[in-house]
Amino acid sequence: MLIPIVHERQARVPSAFWGYRCLALGLLLSSCSFLPPAPSETAPGEENELLPSYIVVCIIHGDSGYLFHDPDGNEYRADEEALAGAKKVAERNSQAEVFIFHEKRRRHFMLFFPRRDGEFYYYRNGRLLAQESYWRDHGQSRFDPEVELYYRFRAEERPRPVRLFLYFGHEIPEIGGTGYDASYRDRTFTVHELVDGLKRLTRNSTKFDLIMLSSCFNGTPHTISALTPYARYIIASPGNLHLSYFDLHPFEALDVGLRDGDVSAFAKECAHQSFDRLTKDIQTEITVAVYDVDRVQGFLYSVDSVYDDALTRLKEEAPTSIEHCDCAEDPAYVRPEMSEGIDVFYRPARFGRSRHKQEHSGWECPKLLK
Amino acid sequence: MLGRTAIRLAVMMFVMTFAGIAQGQDKLQKHFSDAACEVKATADPSQKREILDKSFERVVKALNTVQSSPLISKDDRAGIDHFKVVLKEKQDELAGLNGYERVPDAQLNAFADYVVQDMEQAAQSVTISLVALLLIIIIVILLV
Repeated sequence: MLIPIVHERQARVPSAFWGYRCLALGLLLSSCSFLPPAPSETAPGEENELLPSYIVVCIIHGDSGYLFHDPDGNEYRADEEALAGAKKVAERNSQAEVFIFHEKRRRHFMLFFPRRDGEFYYYRNGRLLAQESYWRDHGQSRFDPEVELYYRFRAEERPRPVRLFLYFGHEIPEIGGTGYDASYRDRTFTVHELVDGLKRLTRNSTKFDLIMLSSCFNGTPHTISALTPYARYIIASPGNLHLSYFDLHPFEALDVGLRDGDVSAFAKECAHQSFDRLTKDIQTEITVAVYDVDRVQGFLYSVDSVYDDALTRLKEEAPTSIEHCDCAEDPAYVRPEMSEGIDVFYRPARFGRSRHKQEHSGWECPKLLK
Repeated sequence: MLGRTAIRLAVMMFVMTFAGIAQGQDKLQKHFSDAACEVKATADPSQKREILDKSFERVVKALNTVQSSPLISKDDRAGIDHFKVVLKEKQDELAGLNGYERVPDAQLNAFADYVVQDMEQAAQSVTISLVALLLIIIIVILLV
């Protein structure tokens, strides 16, 4: 397979050139954005010994509502912070192939001409080999542009690479899903669109070894069940998650973290580190759960129909009348096998009505506000 | 005076419409973050409480004003109601009302951070439309 390799400098020269040219032709063109870099090849055989042992796909949603502050009042953009963290992961892993997709807010040149709102970074063996802007709304499915870029750039694989999928963004809805993208308020994004993207990235053959959903309220029976065909382990928050997100530091040394090939231990270490970091500064609830996808199937199967019925009923309700609760607080979901295959790191909020809640089952369920 | 206020309002509305809903949310978060910094810079617990209380009151006043506007849809009214309930809970906790223990003096800095961080979760937070959010921000700014 030919591997498109483009050095960062090569990619940027035509971009700047076209950027200026676009400026001059601004009123004539419908958009002004960077052209994709022209791929070139490495010498045959040069890359063989560098075939990636790890494949990391990282999607960072950064459309709207991602501002947060540290306790000193300094402002941060959650997506920019996640992007910086993902780049570090890419640069520090000499045996990894890393695909980073930054989904940005749509902006306009001179108020009228839309600019590309996706930025793609492709790293291999710690080096940035390509960077290009893309349109997020091209294609019928939500992740068409990302899937196309993934297959255009991916390298030949070792027989058994470790595959990791990382998502950073707001809660991925299970119903509704319109308005998730502030730039495309009519488009829908739910867990099912994510599943469709994962299905095409794995081509129904190989699961991701670990999926990490850095978002609120996605540790639910429905979401974990939907991701089951595509993941061996999942890290997610069943409760609220502050926009400073889960920690990416453990991913910076995959050779060390996955030295024994023990993805379960690595997932627990990642969850533990995220929990420790978040508990230092965050006063709201912190819940990080690791799901062993095979071992949670018994519980998922037992609550599947109850949960689906609840979702069907809630579809008719206004979003403001739906709230989340620990499934263990609703008798309809309580099962003896509830804690099987799940590790939960939990600390209640320091304030608020739930500050005395001492445990969390690791499963979140929706309910109607009374 | 009225003319100047109207012009200020129109200019703010124009600028913020182009800036979009993200800016609206950002301004609200900044409002509470600024209050939290002010709380931490103050040593006197009663002043800390006053700063927090005023920051809640200003937003609640803006929400009430916007809610009574004919520009606001039914969905927005529900979203604003929800936001008011969230703020009321925090006001009650600060004062020790409605079943809450009063936030101890020694924890007021942490409580100020809690108020900010509760708005900065990776949840689906936008339940209020752009128009309503912009009006709220404009009123909060005018109330300063």
